[in-house]
Amino acid sequence: MIPAAFDYVRPGSIEEALAALADPDAKALAGGHSLIPALKVRLARPSVLVDLRDLDLRGVAIDEAAVTIGALTTYGEAARALAGVSGVDALREAIGSVGDLQIRNAGTIGGCIAHADPASDVAAAVLALGARLTAQSPAGTREIAADDLFLGPFTTALAAQELITEITIPRGGGSAYASVEDLASGYPLAGAAVRLARAGESDGSCRVALTGALGAPSRLPSVEALIEREGVEADLSAALSALELATDDVAYRRHLVEVVVRRAAARAVERSAA
Amino acid sequence: MSIEELDTTVVGVRRPRIEAPTKVTGTALYASDLPVAGLLHGRFVPSPYAHARIVSIDAAAALALDGVAAVLSAAALPIAGSGTRALEPLAREEALYAGQPVALVLAESEAIAEDAAELVVVDYEPLPAAVDLDAALDASAPPARTSTVGAADAADMAVHGDAAGSVEEAAPTASPNVTSTHRLEHGDVDAAFAASAAVAEGVFRTGWVHQAYIEPQVATAWVEPDGTVAIHSSTQGASFARAAVARVVGIPLEKVKVTPAVVGGGFGGKIVLIEPLVAAAALAARRPVRIAYTRTEDLSATNPAAGLRLEVKVGMDAEGTLTGIRSRIAVDEGAYGDMSPSGLIGPRIGAGYTWPAWDVEVTAVKTNKFGPGAYRGPTATQCTFAIEQLVDELADRLGLDPLEVRLRNAPTEGAQKLDGAWPAVAAREALEAAGEHPLWRKRAALPQDEGIGLAYGLFPGARFAAGAVCRMEPDGSIAVVTGLADITGTATAIAAIAAETLGLSFEQVRVNVVEASAAPQTPVSGGSAITYSVGKAVRAAAEDAREQILRIAADELEIAPADLEIVDGAVRPIGSPDRGVTLSDIARKSTGFGNAYPPVEGRGATVPAELSPSACVNIVHVRVDRDTGRVDVLDVAHVQDVGRAINPLLCEGQMRGGVTQSIGYALFEELVHDEDGQLQTPTFLGYAIPRAEHVPAIDTVIIEVPSKHGPLGAKGIGESAIVPGAAAIANAIHAATGARLRTMPMTPRRVWQALRES
Repeated sequence: MIPAAFDYVRPGSIEEALAALADPDAKALAGGHSLIPALKVRLARPSVLVDLRDLDLRGVAIDEAAVTIGALTTYGEAARALAGVSGVDALREAIGSVGDLQIRNAGTIGGCIAHADPASDVAAAVLALGARLTAQSPAGTREIAADDLFLGPFTTALAAQELITEITIPRGGGSAYASVEDLASGYPLAGAAVRLARAGESDGSCRVALTGALGAPSRLPSVEALIEREGVEADLSAALSALELATDDVAYRRHLVEVVVRRAAARAVERSAA
Repeated sequence: MSIEELDTTVVGVRRPRIEAPTKVTGTALYASDLPVAGLLHGRFVPSPYAHARIVSIDAAAALALDGVAAVLSAAALPIAGSGTRALEPLAREEALYAGQPVALVLAESEAIAEDAAELVVVDYEPLPAAVDLDAALDASAPPARTSTVGAADAADMAVHGDAAGSVEEAAPTASPNVTSTHRLEHGDVDAAFAASAAVAEGVFRTGWVHQAYIEPQVATAWVEPDGTVAIHSSTQGASFARAAVARVVGIPLEKVKVTPAVVGGGFGGKIVLIEPLVAAAALAARRPVRIAYTRTEDLSATNPAAGLRLEVKVGMDAEGTLTGIRSRIAVDEGAYGDMSPSGLIGPRIGAGYTWPAWDVEVTAVKTNKFGPGAYRGPTATQCTFAIEQLVDELADRLGLDPLEVRLRNAPTEGAQKLDGAWPAVAAREALEAAGEHPLWRKRAALPQDEGIGLAYGLFPGARFAAGAVCRMEPDGSIAVVTGLADITGTATAIAAIAAETLGLSFEQVRVNVVEASAAPQTPVSGGSAITYSVGKAVRAAAEDAREQILRIAADELEIAPADLEIVDGAVRPIGSPDRGVTLSDIARKSTGFGNAYPPVEGRGATVPAELSPSACVNIVHVRVDRDTGRVDVLDVAHVQDVGRAINPLLCEGQMRGGVTQSIGYALFEELVHDEDGQLQTPTFLGYAIPRAEHVPAIDTVIIEVPSKHGPLGAKGIGESAIVPGAAAIANAIHAATGARLRTMPMTPRRVWQALRES
């Protein structure tokens, strides 16, 4: 339960941090509650930990159109800032599902997204809400749509020397997140984020994202199409049985996926009508 | 009037544990806190295979690392013999389970030891493994062990006492993994079933369950200049460990010392598991050695409760009287049978009832997993899970009230059970109190998918020979001298017993825990027997001290001892509160130079004549989420007879902890192996235990039906407190949904499956 030896640096700026990440075996450290356990069982053996804590990437800005969250904002800070803010319910509910109070006071939104755990609650929420990530590398800054970010388990479209700086979430519609948690780990066996447009909104689409049951947090286009056509009471069984679940226990997991999609969709409908 | 009937002023008071402030402020000295100069830290090299021949161990790269002192294999340890976990703390020629320690690295720091452990190269020849219990029983199963077992004194190592029933050699055609069969028979069970109004049966399965103490196993050993091996250990029994180490390591008993550390939970799992290895390593290395298990090592390589398969058939007549029981039980003994429950589970299937006829057979089976250990009331939870569901089912079928059926079969003193006659047990009183509880009365009118279930159970407990000393200190206060390992607040209980007996305040008594070679006879803290057995010795020692104090005071005051009383730190004539001699005066005159009197040294040596089992009833209210199978425990009433509540706060602590662990058994906990014998649940990310959010408010109801044998009528209560909870939850799930689950833990997955099938 003791990490293999590593070096430690604490850069004072993003540029310094990116420079330290030039070492291919360097790892960025944000809240640490995913990385440090991996170090303790020696699943991860970085040559150097690049501690991001001094970077000025905290804070939540809210305007009518969107919410912008600094990458190093903790889950707890984000939850408090988003209390009572409409149009981002799925994110607030997903944050509430993460770990416990201590973990939410340490873990960060940017760290969570960059880590890309296939059972990340927040990843499902940012997918369903159509978030955009701003990322910085030595080559400059770019925007990445959440849809293009999650490539596989613990794998994102970020380059090795690239850090998320902020996450922008368009407000609107009614959304919700529902999950069924593993008794031991608290991670979702299945977690669904659903966003429905308000009646009369120009963007009439439905967005459904699933975490916990697949190889990576993913949108469910066939489920979205069914709900757009037939509403939240649509028969989803055919669409769900086509999913390739990341488990041997398919019958139960598939059933849980349906349960969480339905629960999230029911709450999203209420909120989109309100 | 006997002293049991007197009003008490110290006993019976709710009081936090003496050591509570040190524990919550972080000043308690646990086993890994002890500062030791020149300490070497141990780290294991575990077997990656469930079963393999160990061909060679190459430690060259590890030894080349700066700070590594030694890499020990079994051959390097001063332990001769094989076949038991005590004699094979490191695997010999054969690795018997995945995670089994094969070598021990000793280094200047834990980090270096861990780095070095990765560099040890072990050459294995994998062998077929017997993992699944049912498969291991098959005649064609691969043997879980191929190397010869040496002459092992396994009975010596067992704490469970004499095996009940007859022991037979395994039949020659049986699986190579069957080690023993125990049989208990009486009467004609087939005739009993034929005459029954209803018969219920089922195959019940329970998994391996870890004690999950908050402090993993840890012990330190060093060799003193005269060759004495001194051990400081998180142990439940220092004296027991001392004898075991002397025997295993082959040195005279007087050359072994064991001091019990403050223990961060034991629950049966810390009974001589690691002391022999730590002692042997210290002898081999000739430097102090500490082995502190990580959580992963503890879950992978210690001694959890064994997995069981229980086939049970029970008959009942039309009035609700149990007619007979037939049971075939398979006990998964893993790699080592030292602490296997196979010798004691037979009588446990009779649970808390009286039976006219029985036919019980227990088969012990080796598999390629860790060996089992004791866990709080060993096998009683699992047996009660089976019996209390069958009794509930029969009551239901015959249209009888479930509580009335329990009352009908509750034992009276002298009634028959599977291993003799019942001692006095207050089952009736506990059941009647449960019947009065408001939670039981709520059961008929509940919302959809909610249900209330009841179960009754107990653990017979144990009775131990014990000694205690009660001596007056130079300042007039009293010291109780004992070797006890306090896992339940027993030091606080015996201090109260001593204070009450002597007429002192609680604050005037302290408990001195001393190292085993210097301590009075002190049994293992297990079997719910410390307050019951050591408390009894302390009572006797305090009575002896009291007499000595009164004799001295009588001489000083020239008044007969019978006319004196001890009040407010002084001995005074009854009715003359202004005369008297203080305890500090007496101390001054009996300690120090030029004594007028011999010192006050009270001595107690006792053994309770009989067991005094503590009857326990749980009523549990659950809600089942049919969509996910998740079961939420909403409310619990826990009714238990304690004989005499020495400290009601301590009693309630035992009750709440017992309920919490029974929720763990029922809904959460299972060590899971895959088909290759790899443990899938080596951390709390995989091994689920109940957390605060999963445990509701528990209404604890203490009833007191005094024991004739325990101190002031007290009974040992720790193990009975865990016994009925899981069965009550199962009965509640049935009440809520109509589904009966026969496998523990009743995970959401299993509940969902059962609901689909019903």
